[in-house]
Amino acid sequence: MDISALLEEIKASPYVESDIAVPHCGVVRFNSKLKAGDKLSGPRGQWKELLGTLLADIERERCLKNIYAREKGELVSINYELAGKFVEAGAEIMHVRHFMSRNEVLQTLLRHSLFLFNAPEKAKYYFVPNIDVKVKNTGAQSVSVHDGMELFIISRMKRETTLRYTGPDGVIYAVYFDAEHHVAPGQPLIGVCPPAQLGQIEDVFMRVQTEWPED
Amino acid sequence: MDISENKVLIANRGEIAIRIVQACRKLGVGFVCVYTAEDARSGHVRLAEELGGSACLYRIASYHDANEILSVADTSGATAIHPGYGFFAEDYRFARRVTQRERGIIFIGPSWRVIRELGDKINTKRLARSLGVPTVPGSDRPIYAELEAEELARSLFDFQTQQGIKNPLVLVKASAGGGGMGIEEVHDLDLFRSVYRRVRNYAARQFKDEGVLIEQRIRDFNHLEVQILADRNARNIVHFGTRNCSIQSTGLQKRLEVAPGFDPASVVYNFDADRLLEDIIRHSLALARKVSYDNVGTWEWIVTREGQPYLMEVNTRIQVENGVSAAISRIKGREPSDGTDLIAEQIRTGLGDPLGYTQEDISFHSMGIEYRIIAENPDNGFAPWVGRIEKFSWNPAPWLHMHTHVPTDAPYDIPTEFDPNLALGIVWGKDIAEVKQRGLEFLESLRLEGSTAKGEPLQSNLAFLKKKTLDILKF
Amino acid sequence: MDDKKFHLLTERYNYMHDVLSGKNNENLRLLSSRLEELGRRLPLLSPAERSDALTTLEDLFNFVENKIEAELTPMDKVRIVRHPQRVCLRDILENVYDNYTEIGGMGEHSLDPAILIARAYITRHRGKHTVNQSVMVIGHEKGHGEEIRNGGSASPWGNAKALHYMKVAEIENIPIHAYVFTPGSYPVEDSPGAAQQIAKNLYEMSNIRVPVLAVISEGGSGGAEAIALADRRLMFSHGYYSVISPEGAAAIEGNVKNGGASSPALVEKCAEQLRLTAEENLRMGYVDGILQEPNLGVRCYHYDFMHHLRQEILRVTDEIVLEVRGIEPFRSMARRSRRKKTRVGLNMDTVHLRWELSSSAQERLVERRHKKFRKLSAKARVDPRNTWSLLKTRLSDFWWDFSSYIRYDLFRRRQQKISNFFGEIQSETTFFFKNQTAPVRRLFGRLLPRFGAKSSGEAEKQLTALSDWSETKSRRGNWAYISNKAMEDRAVVCPNAATHGCLDMWAPDLYGEFAGVCTHCGHHFPMEYQWYLYNIFDKGSIREFNAEIEAADPLGYEGFGVKLEKAKAATGLKSSCLTFEASINNIKLVVAMLVATFRGGSVGAAEGEKFILASERASKKRLPFLAYTHGTAGIRIQEGVNGVIQMPRCTIAVRRYIDAGGLYLVLYDTSSYAGPVASFLGCSPYQFAIRSSNVGFAGPGVIQETTGTVLAPNYHSVYKALARGHIQGIWDRREVSFNLHQAMLTMGGRNLYYK
Repeated sequence: MDISALLEEIKASPYVESDIAVPHCGVVRFNSKLKAGDKLSGPRGQWKELLGTLLADIERERCLKNIYAREKGELVSINYELAGKFVEAGAEIMHVRHFMSRNEVLQTLLRHSLFLFNAPEKAKYYFVPNIDVKVKNTGAQSVSVHDGMELFIISRMKRETTLRYTGPDGVIYAVYFDAEHHVAPGQPLIGVCPPAQLGQIEDVFMRVQTEWPED
Repeated sequence: MDISENKVLIANRGEIAIRIVQACRKLGVGFVCVYTAEDARSGHVRLAEELGGSACLYRIASYHDANEILSVADTSGATAIHPGYGFFAEDYRFARRVTQRERGIIFIGPSWRVIRELGDKINTKRLARSLGVPTVPGSDRPIYAELEAEELARSLFDFQTQQGIKNPLVLVKASAGGGGMGIEEVHDLDLFRSVYRRVRNYAARQFKDEGVLIEQRIRDFNHLEVQILADRNARNIVHFGTRNCSIQSTGLQKRLEVAPGFDPASVVYNFDADRLLEDIIRHSLALARKVSYDNVGTWEWIVTREGQPYLMEVNTRIQVENGVSAAISRIKGREPSDGTDLIAEQIRTGLGDPLGYTQEDISFHSMGIEYRIIAENPDNGFAPWVGRIEKFSWNPAPWLHMHTHVPTDAPYDIPTEFDPNLALGIVWGKDIAEVKQRGLEFLESLRLEGSTAKGEPLQSNLAFLKKKTLDILKF
Repeated sequence: MDDKKFHLLTERYNYMHDVLSGKNNENLRLLSSRLEELGRRLPLLSPAERSDALTTLEDLFNFVENKIEAELTPMDKVRIVRHPQRVCLRDILENVYDNYTEIGGMGEHSLDPAILIARAYITRHRGKHTVNQSVMVIGHEKGHGEEIRNGGSASPWGNAKALHYMKVAEIENIPIHAYVFTPGSYPVEDSPGAAQQIAKNLYEMSNIRVPVLAVISEGGSGGAEAIALADRRLMFSHGYYSVISPEGAAAIEGNVKNGGASSPALVEKCAEQLRLTAEENLRMGYVDGILQEPNLGVRCYHYDFMHHLRQEILRVTDEIVLEVRGIEPFRSMARRSRRKKTRVGLNMDTVHLRWELSSSAQERLVERRHKKFRKLSAKARVDPRNTWSLLKTRLSDFWWDFSSYIRYDLFRRRQQKISNFFGEIQSETTFFFKNQTAPVRRLFGRLLPRFGAKSSGEAEKQLTALSDWSETKSRRGNWAYISNKAMEDRAVVCPNAATHGCLDMWAPDLYGEFAGVCTHCGHHFPMEYQWYLYNIFDKGSIREFNAEIEAADPLGYEGFGVKLEKAKAATGLKSSCLTFEASINNIKLVVAMLVATFRGGSVGAAEGEKFILASERASKKRLPFLAYTHGTAGIRIQEGVNGVIQMPRCTIAVRRYIDAGGLYLVLYDTSSYAGPVASFLGCSPYQFAIRSSNVGFAGPGVIQETTGTVLAPNYHSVYKALARGHIQGIWDRREVSFNLHQAMLTMGGRNLYYK
């Protein structure tokens, strides 16, 4: 894998464009101080205790909720025709552009350089209990996996079965699922780094660390 | 108010949502459907769009979120909510909120007090006993004293021995529990005390209530149901006969239902089956009158091999298998093809229409079977199969109703987060022989094919259903 | 020599300048110009001239210092106390004691450099005899501003070390001299947490069986209390002893958020209002004597003061000992003669009195200490109980004392012996007979139907017919009291929705049936105290007492009187502490409740007194005692030391109750911080918390300011408190009644009076 080329590619377009969608139905009102082109900040602080930029609020059943920016970026456009209207769940109220953070670039590069173990079917996935404890306590990178190891629990239709890992031996470097969401078939569950490749991965870290500006 | 001025919000999905839309159309009542992002291509969405256009469709975040349902109800001007089954169907808090909020609307189902009263198993048992309705022998209130518990357990063992039961069993369960937690069996009185203490301590820790229920554990039984319908204020209460739901998966999920509950004309039972069916109907109606039951509901019974019925619980909702009862009954003699529609009856009476007929106007003519067609592997503990359905078809027949949200003209990915029913096939015939023969004919004609992402072929319970068709109504 | 003198004068000038904090003072300007001028002239002068000039200037300095001394404001004194030149504990050890060894600490190599412990002795002569009298010296070391000393802010483990050596002194039967030089405790929640440890210190110190003398220079609230629960408390004349720093009070007053600063004028005013000086504290009775410092406060070269200090600590330590030692008539005689002699200027170095105490003297010592604190702060509350009602209370108290003595001590002890004896005999005989008759019984059992067995019809009826049941227990969700918040038709968001995926709940469900608990994640929304009042205790069992004791404004703190009246009008309460008797499942108990809605549940003199009266009532009536904290922000700052003193007062009351055999339970709810947690609440062996509540010493803002770290959002969560051993369990609100009952059954045991 050519890290330099990939990195150059990302540098060429370091933005991710996305829509801000309302989490549920309700009457939406935009933050009147915002306009297209404004800078947005995501949650900040050591514990992410400071909220991001206030984008809009939505009222449903006399309960008002604020919608904040989740990431640092720039406001591209606002769907003003929805202002003050009842919108359905998932309605897109804004379009934003987000400058990739160092960590995101790293994750993108890692996706290209790690061995990815993919979900065989659409379901929710968990680690088997003993691995789960280890991941929660000491982080995924403390877990080494080997071919044929019982690693996951697949949960679907209220039933659970175990899933064995197949692939090269190594350390779990990235986890791409959580307990709340379904994973579509073919999407990666974990990224594994074989020992032989460690040097290469460290190189990726170094490159990003030095070549990508701090957030 | 004429009921046709109403607009019903259907707070459900899939097959039942489709049937409710159809019933609303039949009654000339407006409807509103909701759907989630995963269901954008589901059958009920397509039907709603076809019949009412996008104005009657709202995308919501979750079927479980009452706030979504109610905010859509307000925006769309709905005057009533039909919960279907599952989700909010037996949630008295939801029913209460729907009717008691400032913009109160109609909850199509029993009034919330009835749902709450019958949702409490201890309360239901006590109500039943107060009317002399048979219930499972044992306690009808939480037991807090060890001596009393022991005394009760002893009586239960003696009682079962007297009844000639070979291996008597006693069930000890936390009165505040539910869903199978904190339940243990005892087969020997000497072991009772330790089991009792274990359950009591578990209940104290888990539910902060030391109360324990002690009951006879009944193992050999058939599962019967009585279908009840009543109009608002319980002015008229009628029944639509019985069903036998004894054919179930290993996880005790129903797979095949037959109406009526027994067939003494062709099958030999250890007891007077006609009389038994009459008894459970009579008891069910008595309890319905007692609580002023005011919508559709199902009384669940278990019947032992000796013919002793026990009332288990009341389901205060429309059930999946309502169609099989509708198929065998006629109101004022109307043919089943366009005759009884329990969902329409539920909506009509729920909106305040009087019933308009009495028990004498309901007649029972035939026998029906409902098949639940599910992608699963009955040989492997009914493990669900997930993948894409590529072909789905059957031969239509005048003796068949097919309810499904799965498209027949396009591939369909089975969603993983909901009930696994793909389709309900209801067949009916004049007697058991005819209905069995038609059932097999229907199952033979059914084509259900598909594959997983890995290319493994679809698995279904069709073979299981065929096999079980031969044994229906045998105890 | 002259250079040195000049330098000294420059120092004195700088010091004055610091103390007055640049306040515009013409005297200071005069000194400055004169000093400058002399500095220029000095090299040109002859030695004699030099000396004269310096002496003249020195006189001027003395004159000005005298003048400034007379005009010192409380805030100036605070600055004096904080000045790096102020005398430190180490200076005292060097100059007051004759010899010492520091215990466990070499500079930064110390468990906590802010706490200094030393074994020291003072040599006294009597005729030809010399005697070395040992003491345990414990105190805060500010180290003249040394970084590692952290300004004398003791960490929890530093306080633990202090307590450890107090216990050592107890074993060695030597007095403790505690020197308080702290702006406050270092507010971290570690293992242990700050509050947790201070509470423990107070609890243990209330019963330390050796004389304790505390000397206060800088007495910052809870940090000071942690080592200052003493038989005698002396105070430096320029010291301060306060509930909060003037800056802290100003920040609260001026509603300053993180990073901001209040105006110097407001800080100055707060220092004035807090009544934190030695004179004020002596007047209010919170210290027993003042150690007069030289003008503008003692610095390390004031050797006269050191001598004075030595004389005073000897005199006072002797006094404590004399009060409790020997037989009563001789005791008072000795005290009287001593007083006469001290008045005529007795040199304490030349008298000798042994400081060891016999065990009966130790008991008297502890009892006197308890009584001393019990009497404090009586004027800081409104107690409208008239003589007649007080007399009635006395009488009923006496009756309870008498009857519980009869019932529990005299009678019970006898009865227990007798019943133990018979119990033994009975179990022996049953065992014997059981063995003997078993074969016979088995035989009969087979031949005959069981004796008393029911007929089959009856049994069947029992199993299938409706049983009698009056649903006495409130079934789930059927609450006796429903919050007003349950009357609104609206949805409510759970604060954990983002992380746990909780759906919005309908207010009538949430605040009604769900008792304010999120059904999905279990988050507890705060509920009003009435919810607990009417849903935990048996219906109609609540009997309030001492409702008439009223919170007051003892310091005349500006604007506080109005705020207090407002709080009283809004809540219908007279203080934040509600005391009552009630029952849970028919077990009677005494409850003291701190109501968060009344001035943040803060504790002042009235609350403290009510709490103490409640514990005494529980003790008299032999009932379990529950402190339910609906929420407390800490000690009420507007009451100054009148509030702080409730920490030792109430802790002593709790200690007495527990020592008498009572079961003391604490239940925290919403947020509980500072003084009360660091004393009478935090010292209970059985502390529980309602889910989603917070427990700690200082609020997040204060910690951020003092430690400079941003706290994790869950820093004060009760789960953390549970993990570090502060609390013993976390309860669901809906199960409080059950859990309290369970607690009384399982933790009460033999210690509990209720049976």
